[in-house]
Amino acid sequence: MARQLTPLGRLLLVLAGLSLIGYGLYKYGVLARIAQIVAPEKRAEGTVSRDDFGASPPAGTATAAPVGAATSSTSLGAGTRLNRPIKVAIVLWGGYAGGIMANGGLAPNKDSVFTRDFGIQVELLQIDDFTKSRDAFRAGGDRGGVDIMWSTVDAYALEYGGLTRLNPKAILQYDWSRGGDAIAVDASIKSVRDLKGKSLACAEATPSHYFALYVLTQGGLTNRDVSWKFTDSAVDAANVFKAGQVDAAVSWSPDVYVAARERTGGHILASTKEATNLIADIFVARGDFIEQHPEDVRRFVGGWLRGVDMVHKNPERAAVLLQKSLSGVNTLDDAKGMLDDVKLPDYAENRAFFNPQGSLVNYQSIYQTAQNIWRKIGKISQVYPGYQSVDTRFLEGAAEYFPQAGTVKPEFEFTAPPKAQAQPILTKTVSIYFPSGSSTLDENAKAVLDTQVVDLAATFGGAYMRIAGNTDNVGAADTNQRLSRARADAVARYLVSKGFERNKFEVVGNGPGKPVASNDTDEGRAKNRRTDFEVIPR
Amino acid sequence: MDVREPVPQRKARALALAGLLSFLGLWCVLSYADIVPTVILPSPTEVLRAFPVLHFEEALVRSAGWSLYRVGMGFVLSALVAIPLGLLMGTFPPVKHFLSPLVDPLRFLPISALVPLFLVWFGIEETMKIMLLFVGTFVYLLPLVVEAVENVDDVYLQTATTLGASRWQLVRHVLVPGSLPAIGEALRVMNGIGWTYVILAEIVNARLGLGHIITVAGKRSHVDQIFAGVLVILFIGVVTDWMIRVANKQLFAWKS
Repeated sequence: MARQLTPLGRLLLVLAGLSLIGYGLYKYGVLARIAQIVAPEKRAEGTVSRDDFGASPPAGTATAAPVGAATSSTSLGAGTRLNRPIKVAIVLWGGYAGGIMANGGLAPNKDSVFTRDFGIQVELLQIDDFTKSRDAFRAGGDRGGVDIMWSTVDAYALEYGGLTRLNPKAILQYDWSRGGDAIAVDASIKSVRDLKGKSLACAEATPSHYFALYVLTQGGLTNRDVSWKFTDSAVDAANVFKAGQVDAAVSWSPDVYVAARERTGGHILASTKEATNLIADIFVARGDFIEQHPEDVRRFVGGWLRGVDMVHKNPERAAVLLQKSLSGVNTLDDAKGMLDDVKLPDYAENRAFFNPQGSLVNYQSIYQTAQNIWRKIGKISQVYPGYQSVDTRFLEGAAEYFPQAGTVKPEFEFTAPPKAQAQPILTKTVSIYFPSGSSTLDENAKAVLDTQVVDLAATFGGAYMRIAGNTDNVGAADTNQRLSRARADAVARYLVSKGFERNKFEVVGNGPGKPVASNDTDEGRAKNRRTDFEVIPR
Repeated sequence: MDVREPVPQRKARALALAGLLSFLGLWCVLSYADIVPTVILPSPTEVLRAFPVLHFEEALVRSAGWSLYRVGMGFVLSALVAIPLGLLMGTFPPVKHFLSPLVDPLRFLPISALVPLFLVWFGIEETMKIMLLFVGTFVYLLPLVVEAVENVDDVYLQTATTLGASRWQLVRHVLVPGSLPAIGEALRVMNGIGWTYVILAEIVNARLGLGHIITVAGKRSHVDQIFAGVLVILFIGVVTDWMIRVANKQLFAWKS
């Protein structure tokens, strides 16, 4: 006769059964599948590599269509004139010098250029907290918020999806960051490649993050090669770097420079002083505001750019006014430093920037690229065509205020060749195919240069570029050396034809002298036949 | 309505339900009738729609798990430190007076101002987050524990002393059991405070976390996701609070 099981025995049996079932579920991936339903992972983070920058936008997403092509001011449409000041959210940053000049400070001002010459009132509100500035923009100028807010093109491409209900439009570029953003690194990091495996602090999904991605990828790394430590603000990133908690940090001026100075061995690896055309600060206006008061917006754009001309004529006065107006600027030297960290584009440069066929690096190209990158690393799931996010009619309508505006002049002067001992910030290695023994660029090679190099050279507008041709060891060394030099020359000539200054480029023929792989295999030799583009600070 | 007039349980429930419904009704009216723009106050439907997005793209459940872990760790740590220390201070006034210049001002500690310091002291990984939650709850818990011990009626102490209890026995059999119910209540409050600080704790380098979700949603102007995140925190808060209350009832049944 079978004996009764004790309660303990029964429990053990049940447990054994359950663990068997559990193991089975685990073994056949059922558990993982259940976990994926009950608690799915975050949206997958893709890899961002150098090909994501500067390449033409993928098919399917919008190709930059001209917006508001009709330039007549009648296209502004009817609307009413505003009977209160236009409210604009700004932060502690030198890029607002133009508007502050035109307004004679932050408060609405009867004697200002805005009021006297343009017949509008403007109130600039310094809201340094990012989230609060967005809250103000959502509220709108009629409800205690603002009508126009600051952004950068890269960050705007990210936040646009959350703002679509407001139908926001970019209307004006007020500066390029020129030294305002920088990467501070510890003593062990000499070039971008050394960042591999290191920890890097920055505020997530901000211009700092975008800047870091750009520099990493152009230097031959991907977003997966560093360990990201995301902080809430750029200032926090600088502080954790200063405290030695991370190997590198992206932050803005002046914190990033202070942090680099105060940490032993710390230094600046790269900044927007070299990557001049990457971080573009823009004004974004609410759709309903534009629709109701188009004439006021046109005058705002005109008045602001008049202010930019005033700053260019009298930077001393701009610095004084900047120090007086913005809270957090302690000395006049601080204010001058803030002006040095930005470049204020004038009317002509604004037109070129917002024209997809204008500057080599323009609003549309940055917006498209940034949007793709944010999507790739899982920050957004939906993309919006770039032309939807911008309205250039006001800029076009402001033409009457700038009758002398000509074409854009080259901005940087390159006199002497770069110093031989100058350390490149990054080296981008590109394979350009030449027919055997020839130094002629075919259409394929030109296309490679267009996507891989033109954007790099334009973005690093303030840096030299050393073009170094390299060959494998097949054939006589001195012939190869001559050939590599001739090929590098051909590349430089092609780039000059795209609008760069010849002196920006230094041409070097290494021949087989600087191999990066063994010449004993086909694969190694293919790697050695390459052109290195070294970005060298001025 | 008379002052402190007791309400029968059924009626109390009905009143609670009515309160909830009228709040929801007000929300519906304000948002659906577009009295407040949806970019400021999202409608209930939008908030509901935010849940699948958060679930499938932002790992809502995993985030809740991480936040629960961080709040739980901070909670346990602060209980482990504050309860013995509070017992000591409540039992022996000299200890209390010795520590009071340190402890009393702590209640006014601006925790948000500590974030940059904690980053530098404790790094940017989990330690910093848990320490922030620990300190944030500890400074409130300690005075409550001291108070709980002090509020134990002298009558019990005197009775025990008359019966010949030693100093240790007084603590063990009178002060500890006498103060535990109040300490249990204090822990409920700590749970609530922990969930308010979790947003602050997860501001830096949190890949997953409810606070992180809410912060990011705020930065990207996804007001619906902020609401959804807040609702999840409220839900977890209510459930954990209920659990602590039940545990208190089970453990300290002698109080009633």
